[in-house]
Amino acid sequence: MKLINKTIGYYFLICIPLLLLASINSYYFIKGEIEEVSDEILGQDIMHAQSIIQTMDSPKNMKLGFDGLSSIVLTTPHKDAFINSDTSIYNSYEEEFEVYRMAKHFYNNRGQTYLITVLKPTMEHEELMEGLFSSFLVILMFLIIAFLIVNWLLSKTLWKPFYKTLHQLSDYDIKNHSMARFEHSSTKEFEQLNDALTLMTNKIYADYIQQKEFTENASHEMQTPLAVIKANIGLLMQSSNLKEEEMNQIQAIDNTVKKLSSLNKALLLLSKIENKQFTEEALVSIAETTKKVMANYQHLLDSKHISVEMNIETDIKIRCNPILTDILITNLVQNAIRHNQENGSVRIEIRLNSLTITNTGEPLKVATEDLFCRFRKNDASKESLGLGLSIVKSICESYGYNIHYTFTNHRHVFSLNFQ
Amino acid sequence: MKILLIEDEPELRKSIKQYLYQEGYLVESALDFRKASEKVGLYDYDCILVDITLPLGSGLDIIKQIKETHSKAGIIIISAKNSLDDKIVGLDLGADDYLPKPFDLAELNARVKALIRRKNFDGNKSIVVNEITIVPEDRSVKVNDEVVNLTGKEFDLLLFFVSNKNRVVSKNAIAEHLCGDDADQADSHDFIYVHLKNLRKKLAEKGCDDYVQTIYGIGYNFKVSK
Repeated sequence: MKLINKTIGYYFLICIPLLLLASINSYYFIKGEIEEVSDEILGQDIMHAQSIIQTMDSPKNMKLGFDGLSSIVLTTPHKDAFINSDTSIYNSYEEEFEVYRMAKHFYNNRGQTYLITVLKPTMEHEELMEGLFSSFLVILMFLIIAFLIVNWLLSKTLWKPFYKTLHQLSDYDIKNHSMARFEHSSTKEFEQLNDALTLMTNKIYADYIQQKEFTENASHEMQTPLAVIKANIGLLMQSSNLKEEEMNQIQAIDNTVKKLSSLNKALLLLSKIENKQFTEEALVSIAETTKKVMANYQHLLDSKHISVEMNIETDIKIRCNPILTDILITNLVQNAIRHNQENGSVRIEIRLNSLTITNTGEPLKVATEDLFCRFRKNDASKESLGLGLSIVKSICESYGYNIHYTFTNHRHVFSLNFQ
Repeated sequence: MKILLIEDEPELRKSIKQYLYQEGYLVESALDFRKASEKVGLYDYDCILVDITLPLGSGLDIIKQIKETHSKAGIIIISAKNSLDDKIVGLDLGADDYLPKPFDLAELNARVKALIRRKNFDGNKSIVVNEITIVPEDRSVKVNDEVVNLTGKEFDLLLFFVSNKNRVVSKNAIAEHLCGDDADQADSHDFIYVHLKNLRKKLAEKGCDDYVQTIYGIGYNFKVSK
């Protein structure tokens, strides 16, 4: 629910009891006022009746007024008294009860007590209530309309910087720190909010950059110590009196150093792709690149006796970084060979906008959705770093390609869609 | 042959010096930009190995300086920063080769030899090892004056062995030399074995001795009696 609508809701909720209270209060106030005025008029009528009594020849009952409701009646002795009250009288003409204000007055004159009764039609309570209710309803309606207009104007003017900030925030992309400066606002709170947000996003961005640089720097810094180890192994190998056991140990160290350095290179590559450091672009033929990569791996295919089937329907030509495309296809091909079996096969299809590489092999042991995650290896195979497919994914993401994996007919299928 | 090694890491400097010294090179070293700049200005070298990130300056500036003096020295960049930009800039400035760290000493040795050969400092276009004659420029090999037809990889393998003769070279070093960075350990070892088998066979057919000794667990040694 929008803030504005919520505010209106609350206003509304408060308005109803307030107006109800006001209407009850007004009812009693107006009623009192009306009674006061009626009683004043009735008082005059009584005075008029008194003067009639004073000029009477002899005591007698008497009707007063054209409606004949008011009267002077002889009564038993009673001390002087005024009684004011409301009464309702049936009006035969209108066929309903009508409310009258009634004043009774015991009046002693020349030893005779008279009861003077005067009546005045007054406002019916229901009418009064109805009138009040409808007028308050109209007030409520006007209030709501006024609220709506005021709120609409406020959101257009007063809240505008807030909504602008909100919009900018939701569009924020940390990768390019896309936030333009927040618009200056004359409202103190919004200015504070903008300042706080600017500070926060700058800090987040700085941390993000630092984290990105960390991988890169760490990988760089590790290369030199690795070079030292490798060089020393190279020298150690030359010793003429090495035992078999020692040679195995040297080999183990050498293999590990090699793996570590490949790991380093892969991590560096990943961070470079993510940092968008491959900016050069050229028109690349996917068919040509694939053929080239396959030629590079011919030796491996031969040694594992893997047959290759290549089916190029239409070549795909895309604008991209040639090195990245090379890495992308190399990793997919490498993957298809590594997780293949002796006398297996690799099938490559290049069709309109898509490259499909399938290979024979054991079904996956890891979950399909984990396949492209870093260091998620299908088996703890020594030669695999667990980064190849992450690199593939990373390249695909940076170009907006779609990579999809399935296992069908005992074959691993990687389909790469370039659109 | 005089080589200048510009490298700030003492352990690496020591190992490279030792390896190249055993190959018969005279190796001098500089550990920072100032020393390097001084030596380059004062002496002539046949080959200069330069690290890019140095204390007090950049190796790229050293390359500029070498080129300004019209020195004929071959330049190999050895850098921990395996970045394409540095490689391109370095080669543009006139460096002859780029070797990212970490590298095998055998690989460095092969590159130095190839560079010196290309620069033709020793006036020999061919490498002769007993009955084997290799002409790297034409990528041709003769055994007892008979041409041996080798595939590209077999030729590279032979040249790598000869460049590191009487040295133990690891299978990893060979794999990286032949397949490049993305050489896969387990697979590439089979691959080396296949090529080596073919190479041995082709050389033996022309009556060549088998110089390649298998060093158990590690690799091979192309052993030529001195």
